[in-house]
Order: sequence, then C-alpha cells, then structure tokens
Amino acid sequence: MNAWIFAATLAAASPSAQELVDKASQAQYYAADDGRALVRMMIVDGQGRKMRRQFVVLRRDVKDGGQQRFLVRFEQPADVRNTVFMVHKKPGSDDDRWLYLPALDLVKRIAASDERTSFVGSHLFYEDISGRGPGEDTHTLKEETDEHWIIESKPKSPNDVEFAKYEVHLRKQDYLPETIEYFDRKGEPIRRIEAARIEVVKGHPTITRMKVSDLRSGGYTLAAFGEVTFDLGVPDDVFVERSLRNPPAKWLRAR
Amino acid sequence: MKSRWLQFALSHPRWVFSGLVVAVIGLGTQMAKVQIDTDPENMLSEDEPVRVFHDEVKERFQLHDMVVVGIERPEHPEGVFTPESLGRIYELSKRVEDVEHVVTADLMGPAHVDDIREAGPGTVTFKWLLKEPPETQAEADQVRESAKRLPMLDGTLISEDGKSLAIYVPVEEKSYSYQVSQDIKEIIADLDGPETYHFAGLPVAEDTFGFEMFKQMAISAPLAALVIFLLMWWFFRSLALVVSPMIVAMSTVIMTMGALIGAGFTVHIMSSMIPIFLMPIAVVDSVHILSEFADLYPKHRDAKKTIREVVGHLFMPMLYTSLTSAAGFLSLLITPIPPVQVFGAFVALGILLAFLLTIIFIPAYVVALSPKRLAALVSNTQERGSTEPKGLLVRAVRGLRTVGLGAPKIVLAAAVLLIGLGSWGISLIQINDNPVRWFRASHPIRQADETLNRALAGTYPAYLVVEPAAEAEDPIEAARAVVEESGDDARLRVFEDLVKNADSGVASALDTQSFEDPDGEDIWIRALQAFETAESEGRVFQDPTWLAWIERLQQAAADLGTVGKTTSVADVVKTVHRELKGGDAEAFRVPDSKAGVAQTLLTFQSSHRPQDLFHVVTPDYRAAAVWFQLRSGDNQDMSKVRDELDAWISDNPPPAEAEARWAGLTYINVVWQEKMVQGMLESLLGAFVVVFIMMVLLFRSVLFGLLSMVPLMFTIVLIYGLTGFIGKDYDMPVAVLSSLSLGLSIDFAIHFLERSRQLKRETGSWQKALPLMFEEPGRAIARNAIVIAIGFLPLLAAPLVPYNTVGVLMAAIMAVSSLVTLVLLPAILWVGNRVRPAVPASGAHPQPSQS
Repeated sequence: MNAWIFAATLAAASPSAQELVDKASQAQYYAADDGRALVRMMIVDGQGRKMRRQFVVLRRDVKDGGQQRFLVRFEQPADVRNTVFMVHKKPGSDDDRWLYLPALDLVKRIAASDERTSFVGSHLFYEDISGRGPGEDTHTLKEETDEHWIIESKPKSPNDVEFAKYEVHLRKQDYLPETIEYFDRKGEPIRRIEAARIEVVKGHPTITRMKVSDLRSGGYTLAAFGEVTFDLGVPDDVFVERSLRNPPAKWLRAR
Repeated sequence: MKSRWLQFALSHPRWVFSGLVVAVIGLGTQMAKVQIDTDPENMLSEDEPVRVFHDEVKERFQLHDMVVVGIERPEHPEGVFTPESLGRIYELSKRVEDVEHVVTADLMGPAHVDDIREAGPGTVTFKWLLKEPPETQAEADQVRESAKRLPMLDGTLISEDGKSLAIYVPVEEKSYSYQVSQDIKEIIADLDGPETYHFAGLPVAEDTFGFEMFKQMAISAPLAALVIFLLMWWFFRSLALVVSPMIVAMSTVIMTMGALIGAGFTVHIMSSMIPIFLMPIAVVDSVHILSEFADLYPKHRDAKKTIREVVGHLFMPMLYTSLTSAAGFLSLLITPIPPVQVFGAFVALGILLAFLLTIIFIPAYVVALSPKRLAALVSNTQERGSTEPKGLLVRAVRGLRTVGLGAPKIVLAAAVLLIGLGSWGISLIQINDNPVRWFRASHPIRQADETLNRALAGTYPAYLVVEPAAEAEDPIEAARAVVEESGDDARLRVFEDLVKNADSGVASALDTQSFEDPDGEDIWIRALQAFETAESEGRVFQDPTWLAWIERLQQAAADLGTVGKTTSVADVVKTVHRELKGGDAEAFRVPDSKAGVAQTLLTFQSSHRPQDLFHVVTPDYRAAAVWFQLRSGDNQDMSKVRDELDAWISDNPPPAEAEARWAGLTYINVVWQEKMVQGMLESLLGAFVVVFIMMVLLFRSVLFGLLSMVPLMFTIVLIYGLTGFIGKDYDMPVAVLSSLSLGLSIDFAIHFLERSRQLKRETGSWQKALPLMFEEPGRAIARNAIVIAIGFLPLLAAPLVPYNTVGVLMAAIMAVSSLVTLVLLPAILWVGNRVRPAVPASGAHPQPSQS
C-alpha cells in the first residue's frame, strides 16, 4: 500500500509526463470508436530466417481510454487459418482472453498472467498490440525537442516486466511514439519499437508499419497494418464467445 | 663437420654461452603470448565434418554451451522447495542475468521458464514458473508440482525426486565457462543460505581443467627438474657437473615451448606436458657425456682432449637414440588429432635441440670450468672409482645377469608366456574417455558431476538431428505451375510481378489477385491452394506421422537405459495439447492433423519464451533436434547410444527418406577418440617401420635391427596388456604413450646392442662379452631408467588424472623396457648364439650359471 501511495505521489509530481502518456495511449490505441486492420507480420530471427503471419484485427472501444474489445482472426499460414483470439481489455484489472483453435475444435480461456508474453511467436508482446496501461509506469519528461517529447518510464512493479525502464520519443504533432527503447538493469538497450511509417487514415494518424527488434538476439518483426479502416459501427455483440467458432465475416474483412 | 663445430665450441665457449642465452631469452619471451586451450573439440581440426555439423546445429537450433548449476538442500524434507530457498534461488536467477558472457535470453532456470497449465475449467495459463519468491509453503509446493508436470523440465530443471533444482546458464563461448562459474559462486556466497551448489557440465569441466592445467605447468615441470637434479647430484656428487645437464634441460624446455607458442600454437592439454617429457629426455644424453668424461679425465688431465674423445665415442649412439626418440614422437603426426600432432612435432624438436645442446654446450661448459673445479671433479670421481663398485644398483644389475644368462630358456619361455598374457590383456582393453574423469574423484567437479547426474536425468548433452532427404517443394514453383498451366502469358507476367513485389507474402498477394482478376479467379485460387499445400507439406515436423516416428525413436532411446531423458518437438506439442485439453494424462498426445499441431505450436509461441521451440525444430519445421541427456560422459556410453539408435533407425525407417546425424559435445568426444585410436595404431606402425629401418642402418644388420625391436614390442604389449587387466580405460594419455614408449625403449636397446657388439669385438666372443654387459653398461641403462622414471613421479602429485596416468605409465615403461633389455636381450643372444655353458674369461666377475 505504501509503495502504491509513493508511486502515485511520484506520478503527481510530473503531471505533464503522465498527461502526455495518456494522450499517446489515446492516439495509438483508441483512435475512433472502432477500427480494423489487416496485419501482416514478418518474423525474422537472429539468423535471418523468416516466418510469416497474417491476421485481421477488429477493435471496438467501449469507452475511450477504458474498456476495449479485440477480435483477431488468422489467415496465414494456412495451417492456423481461422484461429481466433478475443480480448476484453479492462484497464486496471486483468483482461479476459479467449482462444479458438479450429483444428482441435477448442475454445479456451486464457487466464491472466502478465501481458509481456509473445504475440504468436513474434517479437511483439501481447501488450504491444493491446497497449500498455498508462498507469503501469512512472513517467518523467526527460527532454523536449522541437518535434518530440522524450519520456522515461519506470515500471511500478518491476517483477512483472523484463525491462528496467523505457524511453519514448513521442511526436508532438500527433502524440504517436516514433521510437520506444527498453533498457535492462545495466542500462543496456534490449528492445526497440519503431514506427516505420505513419499515415493519416480517415483523419486518424495511424502507425501502418512497425518494427520491433530484439537487440540481444538480433531478431526483429516487421508488422504492416493494411486496409486500415475506422468507424465501421461494429456492434458490441460481435465480441462474444460465439464469434470465436463463427467469426463474423461481415466485420472481419470487407471484400 | 662434427669436429669443426666441436672445435668452435671448445675454442669459443663464451660465444656458445652468449648464443644460448640469446636463444633462450629470444624464444623464452615468446612464452608471454601463451594461450591455453582445453577444448576437447579442438582434438578435431576445425574443418572436420562432425565439428562443422556440430557448429551448424548449434547455429540452426540456437544452442549454447551450458554451465549447469545444481542446487540442493539435503537436510530439509522439502529440499529446496521452501519459500526461503526458492527466494534465494529467485534472487540468484535474477542476478545471473547480469553476469557477463551469459546469454540471458536463453537462461533456463525456475525464474526463466514458462509454466503452461490448465487453470480451472476451460482455461489455460502461461506464466513464469517462479515469477516471484513464494510466500507460503503451498506456493512453493505449487512450483514443484508445476515443474514435475512439464516433461521438458522434469529431470532437467527439477530433480527426479522433486527436491533439487538446476539452473542452466548458457555462455556465449565455452571458454567463458570457468569465469562465469566463478562469478556465480560469488553471488552464491552473498546469498548465504543453507543450500549446497554444484557446478557441472562439460564446458565447466573443460574450462576448469585449463585453469588447473596452467597451475600444473607451473608446479609439475619445476618439480620434475628438482627431482632430477637431486637424483643426479646423488649419482654424481658434483654440483658443478650436475648443473650443466640442468642448464641443457631448462634451455631445451624454454626454447621448445617458446618456439611452440611463438609459432602461434595454443597450449593444449597434450602440449602442456611437453616440459615434463623433455626434462628427463634432455638430461639423459648429458649424463652419458659427463659420466664418461668423469671416467676419462683423470687419465688425460686435459679437458679438451678428453671431451674430444668422449664426444667422438658417443656421437653415433647419441645421434641414433635422439633420432629414434624423435621418430617415435614424429610418428604422432600420422594421428589426425591436431593437438597430438603439435605435441609430437615439438617433443621431437625438443629432443633434437637437446641433442645439439648436449654436444655443443656441454663441451664448452666443461672446458670453461676452472682447473680447481675440474680437480674437485677428479677427486670426486676417483673416490668413486677407487673401489670395486658396490651398492644396491650394482647388486641389482648383477642379479639380472643371473636371470638372463643363468636361465635363458626359461626367460624365453616366460617371455612367450608374457606376450601371450599381454595380448590377452590387450583384448580386454576398454576404449573410453571422459573429460570429467580427468579430475580426481575428490575434485569438486567430479563430485558435482556425480551428485547432479544422480539427481537429474543427465548433464551430458547430445543431439540427434533428423532432416528429410528430399528438398521441400518451393511453394512459389507450385503456384507458378498452376498459372503456367492456364496458358495465359499475361497472367504469368502478373504472377512474376506479384512474386517480385510480394513483400508481405505470396499467399496474401495471390489471394488479393483472385479478387482483382474475376475472370481468372479460379486460377488464382488454385495457385493459392498449390502454394499453401506446398508450404504446409514442407513443414515436415508439424506432420503427426513424423512426430509419431520421433516419439517412437525417443521410446527406443528410453529403452536403452543409458539415456536419462530425451526431449523433442513432439514433447512440446504433447504437453501443450494436454494443457489445452484439460490437463488429463490421456490428452498427452500429438493431435491428429497437421493443422492441429500447427495451432498447438502457435499457442506455445504465445508464451514468454517462444524461441524455445526453435531449440528443437527449425523455424521452417524441416529439421528437428532430439535432445539427449546422458547420465555419463563416458565415450563408451555415448557410442553405445549412437550405435543402438542408428540400428533402430535402419530397422524402423522414418516416414520418408531422411538423414539422422549426431551432434553435441558428448558425441564429439566419441568421434575424436575413435579417430585417435585408429590414428595411434597407424602412428605406432609407422614409427615401427621407420625405427626398424634406422636400426638396420645403424647396426648394418637385419638381425640386429630385429633384435633391437624386441624390448619395445615387449614393453608395448606388456604395458597395454596390464592396462587391459587392471581395467584402466584406454584414454588420450594412454594412447599417446605408445609412441613414447617406443621412442624410449629403443634407447636402451641401442645402447645395449651397441655396447655388447663392441665388447664382443674386444673380447672375441659373446660368451665373454655378455656377462660384462651387466657391469657399467647395464648400470648406465638402469641409471637412466631410474632417472626418467623418478623424474616423472612428480606428476603423481597433480590433481589431474591424465598427468597421474603419464607418471605411472612412464615409470612402468622404464621398468619394463630396462628389465626386458637387460634380461631378454642377453637371453636371446645367449641362446641364439648357442653359447655353451662355458666359463667366461673375465675373472673378477661371478660366472653365469646355466641350468
């Protein structure tokens, strides 16, 4: 409890940094009320060996900055086609996650652990897809340049994460993070996320290419967000267990 | 030529001394560049196929050499599974992340592996096994239970009795193992708990060996020098005299090692023994010169004249013994093991160097001695020579005469019997080696090895890599074939463009194209299907039939009894499948379809450590590595596993033609050993032929050539026979000693035959000559044997078994070959020349009695 109060005090001491992070979270993860993208991933290991994944992500915000729903359906490789992930994101408490494996005809809930597990074998973490809660770290504005705010963030519960701190270069123009670099206890950089391309889609600045590098192994994942659309008007009842076995084609991919 | 350099040495002793000082300092300073290499992998040259493959496997499956840290708490009923112990283990794990040269991403310990488990009905969870220090015993029990449930961890991370844990610390390079283990020990000292820690694994053993070896080089060689020095002082009782062979020996060692290091060779376990080998060998020649000088000087009272006569006398036998010894070691060049070759070449170089120093430096040294010193030498010698020689050595050598000449036929019969016994012993020889057993049983490394291999399923890794022989069909080719078949060139061009620009994958581009070209929709869909089918079929190790075969292979391995545990991609699939299906034991199986396997693996990859999958299968699923954990690092056990499983595979072929090849440190040791055994045999035969030719040339007689080979043949058969009988494994040092004993035993034979022929010429008959051999010539041989045997004894004090082995075997070789020379050779000559039991002419000595 003491630690919590202490952390809260710290956060209050640098309100502008916290504010910036809240805005960034809004810009990157809560654009519009809902959205969809076709995500193609190329996972490259330290030796340059490639694996590919392709899936559609459908998102609906229940409340801006609050609860969200995600539905992820795999298209490639063929052997995992129609595998579905569903997430009910609940900031401040554990998310609900489901998994459907068609070949085993199996719907499974995934119990919450930390969110820094790999997203389907890529260098992205689950949290990089759904967004890290702005309240999970203590943020400090380290530097301000003409185009960026440079924010240093330290985890409030260091045991839950693999990094000691991270540094975000936040673009002033649209609050999107241009780079995020993670450091270990020794201060060595271990991981980097770069927004390789940012486009404005339907008025929303959107990261459409992202590179996530594991600086220790030399491996990286390139993620391309294509066919991005917003404000589809997806109803909330799409994000239910029934949709896992019968994904709502209408909302998942427009042809 | 000989007389010219002798003249130079005698007239310019100071030049000789300064030349030697310059050479010793020049080469000696090279030693500063020393690089120790204890990697048994280097027993094979770098381009050796098995090493190339091993490195390739390490790269493809991202495998690292591991330091195994075992943690026990023997007196506690829960072992280390208490909140406090796990708390300390958690802290240790976290701090190990920061140790230099540790591959943090692949650390395998309780705090670094995922627990996959059923978490209530319809729910599965992935979380760190030891996410934080447990607070209650129940939480600690949970960690144990989880680890025992996961086949990948049971017997690897957690002991089979569920009381101990192990942390596998991957190191960037094997050569950092010792450093890393020391750093971890420091952390452990900080933790200050009741747990006991053990460090095991081949890398640590090998690297620690290097550390100990370095210490031994600084201890054993000087100790050998001291022992030899004391021994000679005792024999010659003149400090001035004894100092010179020591100078020869030390200079030889320094120059040889300097040359070796300066030439850019690493000091491997074999070459670290060079000083200890050279020391006694270098001394022996000087001893010959000095003892004859001491005998003759009183007659001439002129140092130059005496030394000329002595060198003239001894030059040929010394040259030949040096050449034959060198040939014995040079024969090691035939063995295809680089460190053994380097060892052989540089010992041979050292022997020749010692010979040169002996015939140049010793004369210069002697003439440079002050007349006072020489006078003292004379009085010493005269004192010794004034009376009939007495003492143990004299009596012992004469005793041999009673045996050799007294009962030659019995000796011959006994020799035949011994050869028979020796051959039987040789047939019992166990070819085996194990780098961990290079330490004595009391060494912490050996103890850790024993403890951990009892608790875990084995700390010795080997990998069997299975890969289908047929190339995978290129999915793009498959798709192109469909488009080509449609016969529309325009579409084919579209296809080529699409392939070229499809950075996001051809499949996705084909899919899109099927919408954009409605007329060709069917063609594009079929092309996509062909693409996906080829892609999927290429992923062999997602195929249930292949996984089933791997499972059977693992079962066959388990049935052998020598394999502690195997781990494969099938185990990963089965475990995840079980947890997805509710955690019941019956769900511990491979799903029926390829898609089922793929989806199970996709689930596994959504963990903290997706990369762990690629330690057992390549990302394209075209090659699988089955991990073997062996409880013993004995090469014998590894070769048995290989032979049995290779046989199993040929009886139970995989679903399609495939290649199954072995890798791993434990296996590499087997390969170099096999090469060495074969190579040593060839070296020995090669040396045999060369030495025989040299002997025929020296004696100008085939018969004498053959005769001179008897002691060494006998010695080798007896020594190896004995090795077989006492059950000592035929390992690296034992193998190398064959050439050594050849080189050294021939010395005795040369001296014996040369002197006995000389005596025969002088006395006119073998009858008279042979008994005389048991006086000064016999004593010289015995003295040499004793100097060498005792000179090697300091090796027994070393904590490293190969050094002990060499010490013991050298003493045995010296004993056997000197005895054979002094007993069997006279007996053969006696019987061979049909010497009748006549009375020898030399009056003072007792007669040989003939039975």
